Amino acid sequence: MTDFGMTETTIIISSVLIFFSIVFGIVRLVIGPDTVDRVVAIDLLTIVTIALIALLAHQAERYIYLDVALVYGLLSFLGVLAVARYLEKGF
Amino acid sequence: MSSLVLILLTVVLCAGILIGGLLAVVLNSMVSAVISAGLASLFASVVYVVLAAPDVAMTEASIGSGLTTMIFLYAIRKTQGTESDPETDNGDSE
Repeated sequence: MTDFGMTETTIIISSVLIFFSIVFGIVRLVIGPDTVDRVVAIDLLTIVTIALIALLAHQAERYIYLDVALVYGLLSFLGVLAVARYLEKGF
Repeated sequence: MSSLVLILLTVVLCAGILIGGLLAVVLNSMVSAVISAGLASLFASVVYVVLAAPDVAMTEASIGSGLTTMIFLYAIRKTQGTESDPETDNGDSE
């Protein structure tokens, strides 16, 4: 418990950072007065989620979980692109 | 210690699912409601990963977060705008 290596320390620090990123992203999604704020918030939450899935893959030692993060990396780009294109002029 | 952090992150993710569903019901702007539903789907996928089901998580990621957002945006484009007044396109008059 007390003998933290460098890997454990890094994982705990990144877990805390991911935690606060998710909390503040949800806050921006709730209080965001415009649609554009919510689009940026969901993009932030997707990227933080990719980091969280990579962290879970390291912690569970199952590297098949990284495929989920890969799918998210492709789909967040497409989703945000679709929403931005809709907000500009419609499909 | 690490397990405690994992439990805390899972609780935050479940609260995020609830908040996303609630915002999808409450918000007036249709695009914001679709994005909030995407948030619920996103966090549900991460909870599936926590529950050791990566295939379900991948299906939820591709369909729930990618495909339904595009299909809903296409439907909103076809039916023009918000639920109350049709001329404000992306405003959120809450």
